[in-house]
Parts: sequence; structure tokens; C-alpha cells
Amino acid sequence: MGLTEILVLVLSFLILLAIGVPVAWTLGIASLLTILFSLESMTAFMTMAQQVMTSLDSFTLLAIPFFILAGQLMNKGGIATRLIDFAKNLVGSLPGGLAHINVVAAMLFGAIAGSSVAAASAIGSILGPRMEKEGYTKEFGAAINISSSTMGLIIPPSNILIVYSLASGGTSIAALFIAGYIPGILTGLILMGVAAVWAIRKDFPVGERTALKPLIKSFLKALPSLLLLVIVIGGIVIGIFTATEAAAIAVVYTLGLAFFYKEIRFKDLPKVMMGSVQTTSIVMILIATSISMSWVMSFGHLPQYISETLLALSDNKIVILLIINLILLFVGMFMDITPAVLIFTPIFLPVVVELGIDPVHFGIIMIMNLCIGICTPPVGTLLFVGVSVAGTTIEKVIKPLLPLFIAMLLTLILVTFWEDLSLALPRLFDLM
Amino acid sequence: MRKLIDSITRNLLVFLMGMLVIVVVWQVFSRYILNAPSTFTDELARFLLIWVSLLGAAFYSGKNLHIAINVLPSRLSPPNRKKLNILIHLIVISFVLFVFVIGGGMLVYYTYTYLQLTPTLQIPMAFIYAIGPISGLLIIFYKIADIADLLRTDPEQVDGDNQFEQENFTGSI
Repeated sequence: MGLTEILVLVLSFLILLAIGVPVAWTLGIASLLTILFSLESMTAFMTMAQQVMTSLDSFTLLAIPFFILAGQLMNKGGIATRLIDFAKNLVGSLPGGLAHINVVAAMLFGAIAGSSVAAASAIGSILGPRMEKEGYTKEFGAAINISSSTMGLIIPPSNILIVYSLASGGTSIAALFIAGYIPGILTGLILMGVAAVWAIRKDFPVGERTALKPLIKSFLKALPSLLLLVIVIGGIVIGIFTATEAAAIAVVYTLGLAFFYKEIRFKDLPKVMMGSVQTTSIVMILIATSISMSWVMSFGHLPQYISETLLALSDNKIVILLIINLILLFVGMFMDITPAVLIFTPIFLPVVVELGIDPVHFGIIMIMNLCIGICTPPVGTLLFVGVSVAGTTIEKVIKPLLPLFIAMLLTLILVTFWEDLSLALPRLFDLM
Repeated sequence: MRKLIDSITRNLLVFLMGMLVIVVVWQVFSRYILNAPSTFTDELARFLLIWVSLLGAAFYSGKNLHIAINVLPSRLSPPNRKKLNILIHLIVISFVLFVFVIGGGMLVYYTYTYLQLTPTLQIPMAFIYAIGPISGLLIIFYKIADIADLLRTDPEQVDGDNQFEQENFTGSI
């Protein structure tokens, strides 16, 4: 790939994105313009069409619509409220109780739905008004909700880890999933720590101490929902079923639960289906055009070129990981997490593998890094959703978000340079 | 016209999504309960995913729900915002026309004439690729209708400051 082609690729992408062309089409157009340098136009159109369609021809990707559908069913089927109740009884009596409830609920809900945006809107809309009533500021509530929703992408099952598995050429989903536990829970604990310090300083209210009985009662109520996690993750890790099959089981299970709780009737189903079609199709077209762009780049040998450049700079693991993390933090400010993973994994993975870093470990680093990106302006989908649910503005939410960003950055550094945090569990279960 | 096409597409999407769930659940059931793994479900499910994704992408293109960055449009004066919106629609139309309709159409034509069949189901690949031009034409229809709407409305009424609408990010995971 010559300099002209790289310039066309980058500039057309940035300009189209900036004027407001939807991201999915932006990626497609930039790829098409670039490939027109090397292919005759009719061949280029046909190749692009084939790229878009065949990149979706994957049984692994099928897990995503099912986890999304399961999340929709949980939301409508009264499962979210039961999880929040359990979280309330578990951590509500800590200083800044509602903030902790938010973190734990996001951990549980986001985990099952595998999506951060779904968690932010479901939990933010239930807890936001309660927080305001108890004297928390809207902005603080939004900041906690935004930062803790990222855990849905790190703690399994996680849709973005499935995307990473695909982008990295088939890294084991079971290994990635179980590797996410310690970093994800660590993020949660650190966010809770920041919230506690904040709450003590600002004198936010402390919830009543819960007796053992209501705790057990709410646990039992949440148990069927929690059991789903055991079945899904257990099944994948032990190797009984694939991620896609597990996701299909999650759909049947949540559907059964929603009918059992009588929160959903048969005639509600088309609407729920359509909700899942909406997220699925918009994400899938984004995945398809991202993969096309990645293909155009490898067609022009761009990954090899970047890899050589990076390795010429240094062959020190720590230095390279620092550089890659900095680039990804920058990318994450402007790009949504899905295209970023699909485009940058094929570029950076060969470099880190060359230095002896495990693809599973790198996947967790990459996701945690880009999770910060979806919370930061100017472009942060999770930030936008969190702000919109809370009814506040980005400018106001930035100040309470800052300490949480710093906490997330520190966790990222810790996970980057202490590989056992992500690799201990997959090794324990003999997945790598 | 738009309403009719909307309702046909919506019903088709619900049907395809329902099929997708049934097909994969059947695969799990046949493998673990019946101990006789079905042979066709894997392929059928993958093809259904392509159809749901492209048709859904067309449908939600009509609703303008694809993730976009609205920082610039929201800062423009209403008449300029209107012009920019028309330009964006035209850009999308040309991409979709070249890649989905022309490129996809040729793909359908070649795979049909060379009678390329799918490995297990033995149906023509052209059927699967057909969703390319179909959704392409659908997107072009929606975008032309959008442009016509924009041209009819008073620029002051063009809404553009929807940057924080939660709905706009349902397509993100």
C-alpha cells in the first residue's frame, strides 16, 4: 500500500465521519475508495459486496443476536429489577450505598446481557431517579452508571470478546470469557472504592443495614437469573457447548423465566424480537464494513508495515505495550469499540505475539482500554447513553467522571503488566 | 408507500429472527437431547444471520438509526444543516448503489449462471447473495424519500440536534 492509498483511506474516513455519515457506511466508503487503486472498478464493487456478506457468514457471530435477545427478555421480563434488589441487599449499606448497588447491578446485568449500552440504559433508568431522590447529584449518578457499565464487556459472557475472538483469528472464546472475570471484578471493586471515598467526603446517604433474612430472600429471587450465568459460562468453559449454543440456551431460559414471572405475554414477542433485530443488524453491518476495511488494509500489507515500524522502535515488551495502549486510548476517543477491535486487532496482535504476549491476555488489555474510550468525549457511545438516561450533559458529567477514569486507567495498567490477572483462570481450567 | 414497505419489512424481519432462534435451538436440542446432530441447521442459521443483518440494516437506515457522529450537523445553522443532511443521504445512496446494488447484483448474476450451490443445503448461493441488492434498493428508496421530505420541509424544522438521543446508540454493544 502506497502513501497515497493510506492517505485516501485515513482522510476519507475522518472527513466522512466528521460530517456525520453513519460509521458503518464511512468504513465501507473509505475501504472502497482505497481498493479502487488496486482493482478495476466493477471487480472492486463485486469484491466489496462479497466481503460484506461473507464476513457475516460465521456461526460464532450468531452468539451476538442471541445474547442481545436474552438481554431484551431480561429487561422486559423483570429480571433486571430482581438483580437490582439483590444488589441492594448485598451492598446497599456501604457508604454511598446506591452507587455500590449500581456497580454490582451493572456487573450482574451487564454480565448476562454481554453489552454495556444495554446495562447503562436498563440500570440507569431504574436507579437514576432513586439516586436523585436520596440526594445524589444527577451527574455523579450518571458517572457511576457509565463507568460501571463497562464491566458488561469484560465480565463474561461478553459480545465484544466474541468479536475479538473473530478478529484475532479464532482465539478460544472459553479462555477469553474466563480470563475476563478477575480484571472485570477488579474494575468493579476499584470503582466501588472511588465511590466510597467520594460518598464519605460529600456525605452522601448510607442505606440501612440489611438483615440476613431479606438478603437471603432477595438472593433466592435472583437465583434463577444467576443460575443462567452458571449454565452459560460453565457450559462454555467445560466445553459442553459453543458460545452460540450457550446464547441460544440463554434465550430459551430467559424466555421461560419471563413467562414464569408473567411479565411477558405471547403477543409481546414480536416487539422483543424487533428490539433485538435493531441492535443486531446495526452492529452486524458495522462488523461487516469493519472487516472489509481490515481486509483492504491487509490487502495492502499495512499490518506488516506497522508491525515492522513498531518493532524497529523497540523490542521491549513493556515499551511496545505502552505504545499500543496509548494508540488505543487515542483511537477509542474517536471510534466505537466494535470497529476499533476489528480494525486494530489484526494490526497489533502479530506484534505482541512476536514479543511473546498471549492473545488472550492481549484481548483483555484491548477491551479494557477501549472501554475507557467508550466513556470519553468526543465520541463515546456509553457516555452518550449514560448522559441521555440521566438527563444531564456531557460537560457536567466530565468532572465526576475524572476520578473514575483515573481508576480505570490504573486498573488497565495493572492488568497490562500483570498477566496473571487475566491468564491465571484460563490456565487453572486448562484452556490454554 | 413508505408505511406499506415498512410493515412488510418489519414482519419479514420478525419472521427471520424467529426462524433464527428456532433453527439454533433445534440444533442444540438435536445434538444434546436427540443425540442426532442436525446437518442443515449450522448453514441455515448462518444464512439467516446474513439476511437479518442486511435487511435490518436497510430498515433502520430508513429510521436513520445507524450510529453517526452528529457534532458538526448539530452546530450548523438550520439551512446548512439541511444541505449537509441531503449531502450525507446522497453519499450513502452512491455507496449502496455501487456496492450493494451493482456489486451485489453482479455477484448474484455470476453465482447463478455458474450454478454455485451451498455445501449442505444445496441451494443456489445466489439466493443468499440476493439480500445484497434487495437491501440496497430498499436503502436507496428510504434515502430518496428522506431527501424528498427534507426538500419539502422548512429548514427551521429540520431536526438535527439529536446527538444525545439514547435511541441513536441502541446499535452499540
